[in-house]
Amino acid sequence: MSELVNSRILGLGHHVPDRVMTNADLTQLMDTSDEWIQQRTGIRERRYIREESGPADLALPAAQEALRSAGVKAEDLDLILLGTLSPDVDSPASASLLQRRLGVRGMPAFDVRNQCSGFLYMLAVADSFIRTGGACHVLVVGSEVHSTGIDLSTVGREVAVIFGDGAGAAVLGPEPDSRKGILSTHLHSEGKFAEKLMIEVPTHRLHPRVTEAMLDGPGSRLWPRMEGRYVFKHAVTRFTEVIHEALAAHQLTPADVDLLIPHQANLRISQLVAMGLELPEEKVFNNIQRYGNTTAASVPIALHEAVTEGRVRPGSLVCLAAFGAGFTWAAALLRW
Amino acid sequence: MRSTILGCGSYLPPRAVTSDELAGALATTGPQLTESTGVSTRREAEDGEGPSQLASRAAQQALAAAGLGPEAVDLIVFATMTPDIVFPGPGCFLQDQLGCRTVGAMDVRGQCAGFLVALATADRFIRAGKAECVLVAGAEVHSAALEYSPRAVAVTPYFGDGAGVVVLGASPEPGVLATVLHADPDGLERFWCEFPASRHLPSRMDIEAFRAGRHFYQLDAERMHPQAERVLPEVIGEALERAGVTREEVALFVLHYLDHRVARRAGRAAGIPDDRIVATAEAAGHMAAAGVPIALADALAAGRVRRGDVVCAAAFGGGMAWGAAVLRL
Repeated sequence: MSELVNSRILGLGHHVPDRVMTNADLTQLMDTSDEWIQQRTGIRERRYIREESGPADLALPAAQEALRSAGVKAEDLDLILLGTLSPDVDSPASASLLQRRLGVRGMPAFDVRNQCSGFLYMLAVADSFIRTGGACHVLVVGSEVHSTGIDLSTVGREVAVIFGDGAGAAVLGPEPDSRKGILSTHLHSEGKFAEKLMIEVPTHRLHPRVTEAMLDGPGSRLWPRMEGRYVFKHAVTRFTEVIHEALAAHQLTPADVDLLIPHQANLRISQLVAMGLELPEEKVFNNIQRYGNTTAASVPIALHEAVTEGRVRPGSLVCLAAFGAGFTWAAALLRW
Repeated sequence: MRSTILGCGSYLPPRAVTSDELAGALATTGPQLTESTGVSTRREAEDGEGPSQLASRAAQQALAAAGLGPEAVDLIVFATMTPDIVFPGPGCFLQDQLGCRTVGAMDVRGQCAGFLVALATADRFIRAGKAECVLVAGAEVHSAALEYSPRAVAVTPYFGDGAGVVVLGASPEPGVLATVLHADPDGLERFWCEFPASRHLPSRMDIEAFRAGRHFYQLDAERMHPQAERVLPEVIGEALERAGVTREEVALFVLHYLDHRVARRAGRAAGIPDDRIVATAEAAGHMAAAGVPIALADALAAGRVRRGDVVCAAAFGGGMAWGAAVLRL
């Protein structure tokens, strides 16, 4: 049997719709204010789709950019993974629709549905396949269209103001140097808190899974529900914990990290985590101000921007971390 | 390090729905439904029981068979196309119901090939040294998503509810000998479900789409059958070759496809004798991600296969996604 090799990110790409929704735009739809949103979340604007398009449609340009930058052709992919909580259709997986948009066939394509931790869960899957010779080139895309799945009225404002649409993609391949690439991945969950942040309907716990009454009116079970303060508190704890866990696995400390890219859940969470780890501002990447929370897409979008801006260089130690619905949380350590 | 099956479990909800019972709503007769789909009874979960609850029972059985407690589990990989709620996925609910540690709980969507996707993923995690004891679950509550009107006469009778779980553990001796996965999005509308659809403006689910029944499965079985008959023999051959195992060495072939008669025909076309085929949909209807692990658990429980035997499982369905696994039990 062949030796285990590491995997590394060969190329990155991202795509966001061109329709900008500012906080001021939201005040036209609901009772809120720019000040309220910025103070609590740091978000100034987010992107919404303009025409009918799903996560697979947003994923296509992001994936094409990542493939170009990696120098890999779509037909040479061995595996296509897509992470989303807002799939194009109920079934099949959005990965299948992306496979069709890419015009390729033969390789497996499936979805990993782990909400805000989705991209990190997928990195762990891709890394496992590549390390064991089960795949050479893997496409990993986080993509979300939240704007059609939130209640854009005053009733839904606590959740609605946070989320935005977008896609981020990475192409992974083998890395023979065991000191480089993905050093390790760390995955967690705690289902006890599943209902603190969820979309309930359609629910396969009821017959039928959706009724007309469930769709109707304000407070519909079709929209996401969140106990914001609860999620916030757990996020700060778990982010910090899992980052320490990842570093400790390599006898490293926060001081060794060149760049932390936290899932863009809320700027205030990122700031508290950074403070707790004693990381200076220049070592933490945030772009939630411009995109809002794009769940599975936020880490690859941020990573791509960070690399493009030159904030990640050869030899940099990059820590990716996420926390979100499930609760699920995760971290990955990468040597660039 | 390689992975091996430490224990299997299955659970079918007790309520059986006969074709006669379904016939009224579908404006036909019981014998006609049984004739057209090959399924005479299927099971239906109680209200309040999602796939995670069904999987929980199967998992307890699988862990008991493995002689392990929930604290031994260090990863959950859950496959379904009928989740408890939209998000989070049933993997998280299962983690809580079983009382596992705060280990990773991954939810994968690979439709009818979903369990093989989950199994291949778990195998790779173990071989990569990222996990040592993985709960691989497949569970479906199709009954909540089905349409009970004459329009669905060629869809609804095929499907049933149930769950199967495999405990996969690290081992120096390989148990999972090979896994092969494929997908081809061509013609995926032959088995799909459009709504909820995040691509739909202004809302992923609206009254118009609901009233038009666009949240029900759309299935064109007649056009799926030929592809199933073609790819199942192909992928079985590919997996056996990769595992270095001949057809004769395989004690049992678990063939997973919507229509068990088509699955059996595909098996015969692959040169497999009838008495070494289990067509998963035969006993209690088709369960997309659950059919394969249920058949494995049931074959072990019935003594049809024993420890040391080689089993080949192959699946084809929505996506279109298909695959095969060769396992030494």
